[in-house]
Amino acid sequence: MGMSKSKWSQLKAWIYLLPALVILAVFTVWPIINTVRMSLLKDYDGLALIGGESFEFGFANFVTVVNYENFTNCLGNTLLLCVLTVPISTMLALLIAVALNSIKFVKKAMQTIFFLPYVTNSIAIGMVFMAMFTIIGPVKNPESVGIINNIIQLFGGEPINWVNMGSSKVANMAVLVIYIVWNALPFKILVLLGGLQSVNKQYYDAAKVDGTSRFRTFWRITVPLLSPMIAYVVITGFIGGFKEYSSVVGIFGATNMGPVGSTGATNMNTMVGFIYQNLGTNQGTASAAALILFAIIFAVTMVNMYVSKKKVHY
Amino acid sequence: MKKKVLAITAACAMASLSLLTACGGNSKAKPDFVMPEGGFNIDNPVEITFYHTMGQSKQKVLDRYIAQFNESYPNIKIDYTVLGKYEDIRDQVVTEINAGNQPNISYCYPDHVALYNRANAVLPLNDFLLDGEYKDMKITDAKGKTTSLGFDKDDTDAFFKNYYEEGYKFGDGSKMYTLPFAKSTELLYYNKTFFDANGLEVPKTWNEMEDICKKIKEISPDSTPLGYDSEANWFITMCAQYGSDYTSSTGKKYLFDNQTNRDFVTMFKGWYDKDYFTTQAINQTYTSNLFKEQKIYMCIGSSAGASYQIPGKDNYGNYTFEAGIASIPQINPETPQSISQGPSVCIFKNEDPQKVLASWLFAKYLTTNLDFQAEFSFDSGYAPVIRTVTENKIYQEGIAEADGQGNLVQLAVKTCLDQPESAYFVSPAFIGSSKARDEVGKLMQTVFAGTSIDAAFKNAVSECEYFAKSE
Amino acid sequence: MTDMMDKQETAAVDTAALQTEGGAPKVMSKNDVDSVAKRQRVVKIFVQIGLYAFLIIMAIAVLFPFYWMLISSVKTVDEYNATVPTLWPQQFKWSNYGAAFAADGLNLGRLFLNTCIVGIVSTILSLIITVLSAYAFARLEFKGKNVLFAALLATMMIPGELFTITNYITISDFGWNNTFTVLIVPFLVSVFYIYLLRQNFLQIPNELYLAAKVDGSSDIKYLWRVMIPMSAPTLISITILKMMGAWNSYVWPNLVANDELHRLITVGLRGFFTTETGMPDYPAQMAAVVLVTLPLLLVFLFFRKYIMRGVSRSGLKG
Repeated sequence: MGMSKSKWSQLKAWIYLLPALVILAVFTVWPIINTVRMSLLKDYDGLALIGGESFEFGFANFVTVVNYENFTNCLGNTLLLCVLTVPISTMLALLIAVALNSIKFVKKAMQTIFFLPYVTNSIAIGMVFMAMFTIIGPVKNPESVGIINNIIQLFGGEPINWVNMGSSKVANMAVLVIYIVWNALPFKILVLLGGLQSVNKQYYDAAKVDGTSRFRTFWRITVPLLSPMIAYVVITGFIGGFKEYSSVVGIFGATNMGPVGSTGATNMNTMVGFIYQNLGTNQGTASAAALILFAIIFAVTMVNMYVSKKKVHY
Repeated sequence: MKKKVLAITAACAMASLSLLTACGGNSKAKPDFVMPEGGFNIDNPVEITFYHTMGQSKQKVLDRYIAQFNESYPNIKIDYTVLGKYEDIRDQVVTEINAGNQPNISYCYPDHVALYNRANAVLPLNDFLLDGEYKDMKITDAKGKTTSLGFDKDDTDAFFKNYYEEGYKFGDGSKMYTLPFAKSTELLYYNKTFFDANGLEVPKTWNEMEDICKKIKEISPDSTPLGYDSEANWFITMCAQYGSDYTSSTGKKYLFDNQTNRDFVTMFKGWYDKDYFTTQAINQTYTSNLFKEQKIYMCIGSSAGASYQIPGKDNYGNYTFEAGIASIPQINPETPQSISQGPSVCIFKNEDPQKVLASWLFAKYLTTNLDFQAEFSFDSGYAPVIRTVTENKIYQEGIAEADGQGNLVQLAVKTCLDQPESAYFVSPAFIGSSKARDEVGKLMQTVFAGTSIDAAFKNAVSECEYFAKSE
Repeated sequence: MTDMMDKQETAAVDTAALQTEGGAPKVMSKNDVDSVAKRQRVVKIFVQIGLYAFLIIMAIAVLFPFYWMLISSVKTVDEYNATVPTLWPQQFKWSNYGAAFAADGLNLGRLFLNTCIVGIVSTILSLIITVLSAYAFARLEFKGKNVLFAALLATMMIPGELFTITNYITISDFGWNNTFTVLIVPFLVSVFYIYLLRQNFLQIPNELYLAAKVDGSSDIKYLWRVMIPMSAPTLISITILKMMGAWNSYVWPNLVANDELHRLITVGLRGFFTTETGMPDYPAQMAAVVLVTLPLLLVFLFFRKYIMRGVSRSGLKG
């Protein structure tokens, strides 16, 4: 073959990539293109297409979605969940990872415990969280206030209406945040602990000799050294956070997406939940909403990457 | 150079792909049914798929009757798929219609059929009905028995008229799309032991219900007298009983925001504040559980849920109380109204007319076989859809066992059949009718939770209208 | 990046060395040293107690749902549905496990087998594709590499739910319904795994590659002899993640392959168990869930070390 060396290496790269690209083209790229197409056809619906209906071309779906009064609620909930859960779970995971790294006795057993949720079935988890927070019986005259409230009472507090009818949005949000953080912990601990174990012990020895306080060591040595992993869990955390949906279903159920007695304007629905609601009968608006969500995630990830480029220590 | 070739190839692939699906839409449409030459061929093997939600014990009943059906039509293989809930069936079928491989027969609710019919996917049954196109066609099965292919007069008359006519509740009402399979309604379960001990009368009207609740509160201040399973059913039933507007399948669809409806919601809010009732959603547990544990003394729920209302047993294995079943309270007991629910079956269009015919034969068999209808109802609490079932031996034996304890299901079925046929109503089915149902249920909940009547109604209407299709 | 880290480490070691020698206090008496040491020991003990307390509290929080799953699997249906949930089963109903195994028509063995077939085949194929792609992105030079890689990463940000309908139509057009192919092929490529492995490959010093080139070994040889052994932990964690995916997937398999021969375990389990009265038998379902989770758990415990190493590496390079 009369091919120059660099051309051959070009071709070789594409050959290596071929299997992946073919599959991605069919099962990822094509659906994306189709999503864009559906988003541009007013009230697109596959069934109606088969029934012989045709659809107007334009941005009508985007207008419909943005003008829907409860859209802002879904968007707001999603943003709030991200802003709350990512820092909390990252911080907590970091603390647990550092603690796990600085003990000796039953270290292995402890590590294993923190990874167990990784293999717990999601059906089970949803039901458990519900049972922990829910008030049983009439809210006014409960039979049981739930384990969490029992603990609060133990410390002299008043039981709180977390998820039942008439509960406040703050309480709902708190439960969701706890649930999501709980879910996110194992992976983050895994990543951060792995990072910690590859950090050279000498840094700490130096700090110890130096008499640096633990707190200072944490901020000045641990955090900077772990910054690539932290950036990683933060970025993936945000992407996951924007796609949050199953946690709301797990706690509140798919019909209400909030406590009993909440409406579209006050429930805990998220962007993906909103897309799902539309998907059944109007794939046009569902696609439009998905593209809006994608634009937001994309922008936030870019900001995240930019910040981490500046802050991450290599 | 290579790069250009690559780019062009990629572009071509893309273009052909998008072309493929651009015209893919209409090729998924199924042809209308045309009777094949010579009718149904009982010698050629044909396989049909059937989607339903029956649990294990009901599947066993079904299996037995499929075997019986196969004695007549050994060439028809019934391949059934069990899905969890009615909504799961709807979602699965919708996706499959999109790809053009829907099942042949399926459990359905009217609003599902309205949705499938956006793609004209459901077979209209008119030609198979009494005086339809195929009225003179006969079929001889493997046992040599000759019957009419469609419904004859006896078949048609055997159905409860109201159930049968549900099949027409679509669009202009000229076409029948569904056959009733098994029906349920709401019943008032009450703690007979408690009622007898305290000399209470079972309420027949909502006014009497209010009095009874008040009395029970006096007798047992910590109890909640009534449990109502579904707020949505409550709202829709009240509309039917008052004769007020709820929804319409033509013109303006969401009509439920009117003064009558606002008034009854206000009334029930008053009851809620006095702790007269609870619901499954409010209590986060099945009201039947509360009933069994004697935390409530009345429970309005589905006849199909009768088995859950069976009183609990004490440590010696004795039932803790005796339950009774009555019709739900009415506004006007002279013209009672009670919601009709439960699955129907629909047949889907298909390229292969033999499959369509096989599906029809099977659907006809299930909906008209007295033994099956009787056995299925005692296993499930659903009422049979044919009135002649009362002459059936299995049915009579079952009803004779009915009591307020272990055989509560039989009692529920009996109560259903004792109610006047005219009592059963269904609301119009259209795309988005289930959205209206969800929203009125939520509306009641939000009002109970403290939202103003006005805000709750307005929000419900606007939610419905956002998700409604512009047709 | 590795180079920089090395430099930093040497720097840190230098200062440490400096401090131990030059910074050692000369004026401190032996007594002082003792008391300082004692105080440090006391502080250390308190810190350790604090650490353990913190970890134990968090561990309880983390373990609770797991515990719940276990106790639910031995409860009776009535106890499970009781309005006040019990923290310890009033009576142990071990027969739930028997019910899970012996359930008529469930054929747990077939479900296991199907899941294993899909899990193993898709893992192997997925590994091959991932290794090849990650290698191309990490080591080979070609026009548009960065753009392509960024585009791939961007696809991770789109909610996948939206793909379902389009993909379903595609596979139906291919005639793939109720085959193993449909369970395996659409998810063979994970951008996440490619990303993970690429990060790992990037850490392997370029010098090794150049040396191999000088030796005249081909890319494939180098990949097989050097890159793969050096990224074994990542490959193992990808394997585990992929297997877990097969074990837990539900929506797609339920839609495309719900026949006896191809049904996967979660699809078979969900909604299968019902009581005599037709109510879902959650305890029996939980027992089945425990049975299903168990193999996964064992695999997980066994490979814990590798998984940790593998996953954590992915974060190293931004």
